[in-house]
Amino acid sequence: MAIPETAAAERPAEERDLAGINADYKEKFGFHDPESGYAYKSPKGLSREVVESISEYKDEPQWMRDFRIKAYEHFESRPTPQWGGNLNQIDFDNIHYFVRASDKNSRDWSEVPEDIKNTFDRLGIPEAERKFLSGVGAQYESEVVYHQVNEKLEEQGVIFTDMDTALREHEDLVREYWATIIPPNDNKLAALNSAVWSGGSFVYVPAGVSVAMPLQAYFRINTENMGQFERTLIIAEEGSDVHYIEGCTAPTYSTDSLHSAVVEIVAKKSARVRYTTVQNWSQNVFNLVTKRAVAHEDATMEWVDCNLGSKLTMKYPSIYLLGERAHGEILSIAFAGEGQHQDAGGKIIHAAPKTTSSIFSKSISKDKGRTSYRGLLEIAKGASESKSKVVCDALLLDEESRSDTYPTIRISEDDVDVGHEATVSKVGEEQIFYLQSRGLDEEEASKMIVNGFIEPITKELPMEYAVELNRLIELQMEGSIG
Amino acid sequence: MTEGTKQQIDVCAASELPNGETRLVEAPDGAKIGVFNCDGSLYAIEDRCSHDDGPLAEGPFDADACTVECPRHGSLFDLTSGRPKTLPAYQPVTTYPVTIVDDTVKLEVP
Repeated sequence: MAIPETAAAERPAEERDLAGINADYKEKFGFHDPESGYAYKSPKGLSREVVESISEYKDEPQWMRDFRIKAYEHFESRPTPQWGGNLNQIDFDNIHYFVRASDKNSRDWSEVPEDIKNTFDRLGIPEAERKFLSGVGAQYESEVVYHQVNEKLEEQGVIFTDMDTALREHEDLVREYWATIIPPNDNKLAALNSAVWSGGSFVYVPAGVSVAMPLQAYFRINTENMGQFERTLIIAEEGSDVHYIEGCTAPTYSTDSLHSAVVEIVAKKSARVRYTTVQNWSQNVFNLVTKRAVAHEDATMEWVDCNLGSKLTMKYPSIYLLGERAHGEILSIAFAGEGQHQDAGGKIIHAAPKTTSSIFSKSISKDKGRTSYRGLLEIAKGASESKSKVVCDALLLDEESRSDTYPTIRISEDDVDVGHEATVSKVGEEQIFYLQSRGLDEEEASKMIVNGFIEPITKELPMEYAVELNRLIELQMEGSIG
Repeated sequence: MTEGTKQQIDVCAASELPNGETRLVEAPDGAKIGVFNCDGSLYAIEDRCSHDDGPLAEGPFDADACTVECPRHGSLFDLTSGRPKTLPAYQPVTTYPVTIVDDTVKLEVP
């Protein structure tokens, strides 16, 4: 897509450069706003003082201050992981850990500061809210600047607010579940998030309440060398049903930013939670996220994880099936273009009898991009009659790209049914030739193959997102036949 | 704990294990066991986190809540039941009966 027609025409098709993923990113999402009106920006680097000042600035209760300090100590004492992507590139001293763009969090769109409003207008957030969402949150830098939830849902007791507000207004509820799914010393990046977290969403769905349309949060990094560390907690009470969607973008800078979120989900008896991510960070963002859910008896938890952007993503959403007949699903799409490494996958732990799960991972690599599937399937002793299927498919669009698969399967029970399939394929001349014989040109044929490849996952997205995802991927495919 | 032949081993003098204190002892079979005093009540668990088999009993001990935190990945264990209260551990650890006989803390082990 990035190749102007004239330039492309000067070269034979087989010599064309492969267009990079998100080739129009800079024009569409890569802009940035001036920071002159900002309320607060912490100095670069992480220290105990920075952690304390964030807590003080937010006027938090003592237990949260203690939690942050403890987490900071864990972060400092842990070595940087040496597996997955190269995290040694991150300069933790060259990051702003807390940036407050606005002093207030509005419920009325017209009250959002003009610069920020323009940003979200350009990203289409208000339009999406009007059309098909039950509620929306918009996080700009470290804090949420806008939050709204459908009034009817509010009357039913649904809470959808930013995490800072939740801590102030629903402290007991937050404290009951806080860090019970992902403790601060779970891993180095979870410790970092726990120390400097800010923003994120808090969702509480009372028993029996079904949230018909999705709730959405949109995350935006604007400042260069900024770290965004939102924290999301979703509690779905017995028999409730909710779909949460998050999207994210950032300006294109020459130096790196860091996004390290923690997402915890509790799906109680017979509840159903779906969490969809369309990750489209600019290619200077390290995206290192810990996501984990528990599903109790007869509950269903689904992660739909689409990773298109970022420089390096390391993210493996996990589900602990703790109650009988609980069900977990992970659908993962990763698309790595030039300079990108998508280290994605999923983990499912069967800890109770008759639990079922599936992991479907689809990755596409091009322009020397690298995708990795890293997954864990564990069936614990006692989780008899459990069933699981893991399928990971990789598609390579050229000779220089790379795909790796690191599946781990641990089974401690005899009476189970587990399947694992993995394929690696390349868009071959024969496939293209066959489709061309049906009247398609080379480019259309290639697009069709890629769309067919990811279709099992895009069909699970709400239509608006499926269209957007298909469009993004099609854009990258244009002119990509070498 | 499993049924079968059991034996008692001495841990320490009761005065050496006041409220909020812990002791780490080794059973005859070589297993390490942590003994805890939560507000006057004594509890013992195996010194092995059920998440990744790392040492558990030397983690931060909260006598008021009667919990111990795995120093490796942060799972919080209820000392009265051996059950994890937080992930990533999800399976309980073995617990052992503790008694005080003649001012000596005694542990019943297989």
